[in-house]
Amino acid sequence: MQVTLRVRRFDPEKDKRPHMQSFVVEAEPTDQVLDLLNRVKDYQDGSLTYRRSCGHGICGSDAMRINGRNRLACKVLVRDLGATITVEPLMGLSVIKDLVVDLKPFFEHYKSVMPYLVNDEPAPARERLQTPAQRLRYDDTTKCILCAACTTGCPSFWANGEYVGPAAIVQAHRFTFDSRDRAGAERLQILNDRMGVWRCHDIFNCTEACPREIEITKAIGEVKLAIATGRIE
Amino acid sequence: MSISPRARPTGSWEHLLWTFTRLSGLALLLFGAFSLAMGFVYGGRTQLDLPGFMRWMFFPNPNHVVNSDIPDVTAGWSNAFWQIYSMLMIALASAHAMNGVRMVLEDYLKRPLAVAVLRMLIGGLWIAALIVAVYVILAS
Repeated sequence: MQVTLRVRRFDPEKDKRPHMQSFVVEAEPTDQVLDLLNRVKDYQDGSLTYRRSCGHGICGSDAMRINGRNRLACKVLVRDLGATITVEPLMGLSVIKDLVVDLKPFFEHYKSVMPYLVNDEPAPARERLQTPAQRLRYDDTTKCILCAACTTGCPSFWANGEYVGPAAIVQAHRFTFDSRDRAGAERLQILNDRMGVWRCHDIFNCTEACPREIEITKAIGEVKLAIATGRIE
Repeated sequence: MSISPRARPTGSWEHLLWTFTRLSGLALLLFGAFSLAMGFVYGGRTQLDLPGFMRWMFFPNPNHVVNSDIPDVTAGWSNAFWQIYSMLMIALASAHAMNGVRMVLEDYLKRPLAVAVLRMLIGGLWIAALIVAVYVILAS
């Protein structure tokens, strides 16, 4: 089948503003959108710029807006989109070139929530044990691949880039609810800010956008509850 | 596990208002349910039309009853209890609403001065709405 791939393009060295460019590509219904982008880059226009790495939904490099929704280009198939596919860069972050956005602010927010295990207690002889139930408590948020689809799909983040964003809160959740961690209170203090967890208005765009199907709005709600009650359970 | 008291997050303005939004929303539903129930007790089921009943439910003011088939509005429908009840309900509802507007608008504000001005403006609007509501209630 023939697919018309409409790409929002921007080259800061040539363009004053972004513009749409269409490419006609031969495709199989089971092709990924990433396959189409690769075909354009390899055979039609080598200047087309986008991020990709593993191509199997693990690295999170190729998050972009596909037909208006934040998706990984390597997880969306042509058969689910039809003969005309529109591909645009993620919203809320400045575009460096074509489909590549500047992820620095995203990772600054990520770093701000202490996304690592903190435990200064003397290490036991073998390992810090955890029951299956304790492990299950934060299982969902361990699935995050930091693709930024959630944060850049959030209207609160579009309105104000200072909002820490759903991805950072998911990371805070992952470590705060880990029974081995001892920095939960510090993380909750960081998120108990005007631009922290309270800027979330339960819009659910993040949950809809997540390629790993993490229940992000629920996780944010659990962080809010932990701040409100002072209990991490 | 609970957070140790020393390390527990200290309250923030946003946290306080987030809690207020939830509690005031719940309280408004209870207020509405009570005025609805009392409307039935006073015989409103047969003597009030549905729009009139809805107005009474969310703003229990005798003005909403005078043009109905209720023979004597002063009995039950018009007294100091309902005046105070209406004032409390209006104060809570307008605070709930103004806080919602503040939350949405503050998404777009970065500078602390702009946030402070917006909060003063919304606080002023809230007080103005309260003055008008109190006047309407006392003049009814």
